[in-house]
Amino acid sequence: MVWRLVVFASLNQVALLKRDLYRDGINLEMQRTPQSLSATGCSYALRCPDEQVGLLLERCRKFAIQPGGVFEETEAERNSQRRVFAGDELDQ
Amino acid sequence: MIYLDNAATSWPKPPSVMQAVHEAMTLPLGNPGRTHHRSALDAASLVSDCRESLAELFGIANPLRICFTANATDALNLAIKGALHPGDHAICSSMEHNSVWRPLTATATRGVELSIAQADAEGVVDPESVRRLLRPNTKLVAMIHASNVNGAIQPIAEVGRIVREHGALMLVDAAQSAGSLPIDVDAMAIDLLAFPGHKGLLGPQGTGGLYVRDGVELALLKEGGTGSESNSPLQPEFYPDRLESGTLNLPGIAGLAAAVRYLLSTGITNVAAHEAELAQRLLASLRAMPRVKLYSPQESSCRAPIIAFNIEGWDSTAVAQELERRADIACRPGIQCAGLAHRTLGTQDSGTVRLSPGPFTTDQEIDTALEAIAELPRRSSV
Repeated sequence: MVWRLVVFASLNQVALLKRDLYRDGINLEMQRTPQSLSATGCSYALRCPDEQVGLLLERCRKFAIQPGGVFEETEAERNSQRRVFAGDELDQ
Repeated sequence: MIYLDNAATSWPKPPSVMQAVHEAMTLPLGNPGRTHHRSALDAASLVSDCRESLAELFGIANPLRICFTANATDALNLAIKGALHPGDHAICSSMEHNSVWRPLTATATRGVELSIAQADAEGVVDPESVRRLLRPNTKLVAMIHASNVNGAIQPIAEVGRIVREHGALMLVDAAQSAGSLPIDVDAMAIDLLAFPGHKGLLGPQGTGGLYVRDGVELALLKEGGTGSESNSPLQPEFYPDRLESGTLNLPGIAGLAAAVRYLLSTGITNVAAHEAELAQRLLASLRAMPRVKLYSPQESSCRAPIIAFNIEGWDSTAVAQELERRADIACRPGIQCAGLAHRTLGTQDSGTVRLSPGPFTTDQEIDTALEAIAELPRRSSV
């Protein structure tokens, strides 16, 4: 399974998105963004199967949230990611 | 104790509120947005739960536009001082609490002009009087939803539409209406909604919030740590982080979340109907008593559950003290931090006695209170 890490500026945004998706039966993991991916300082992320990224980005639009970027986990270890989309490349 | 001071702070609270506060103090609950561990993430989820419940209660589409504050006064100061700049014009009603009147007066010393829409003898403002006061530079209309002095309900939706047509901002002080009366920010054309958590919402003291409509810009009164964009010297642009610097009141917010869930499950209209019935009984019985003068609107639909009265020959404080001594009744005499409203009602010197039942007040308690009050006009003031 391909996993993505969708990064957000604020834990308030992440908590709202996680709870909103959970009500639809989708349980995503909330986590602190690795510092190497957190360009603006502290930030938080949702770890998400690739096929659910589209749905997550839809919910972002619902709440006017701009993600900071989408990263792909490139190895089994979760501490290795590469950027897939930068925040400003996402369709907002 | 017969507690008839719910307009000051509600009591008792639903058991679920006490349970939630207790759990927030006993279970590991971290600082949301500050670190990675589970207790901090759980805390963020709890905060979001409260925001989402409040959004549902007030018809707010995006919960992230609700910022937590320490109380309604904090929220009103954020809104008033954040929205107004030198050269702007603001309008308020003549029924405002000091939490609106004082910050507006303070902005007047910094070049903001202020007009006051005069309420009628029952404390209700005609929306057309607000329209007549609008100017090209009117930036903000601030209005109390329900008076904390006599319960008078202002026609917020009508005023809101007038204000929006004009392009100004509508700020509503929901200190006496949040949790007691239905509020829908879109239907009522509200741009800024300030509310306390500890009154009609039945949460703990030290809680409150401000709703800021998407697109409304507020200057900041404080900056600081938000747990976001930490490398930047500037405050984040996005909400609620923009207005929420510093650690939140987690136990308070946990209690408030439980309280709002209680209200959502009970139904605001059911709470409002119960409180209105009790207030109507108070009003009808007081009206029949000799030497009692009433100051609250006669029509139940024009009034939050707050009844203001005086007894001829009695000081309002003496009435309240005597009611406590004779029947252990808790109520509030005096000016209730609303000098402007008392000036409108002509009670700025005497003050009034205020009775404010809540969702848990019983018919029996109202009967006992009325019996105790009925004794007083027959006696000389102490």
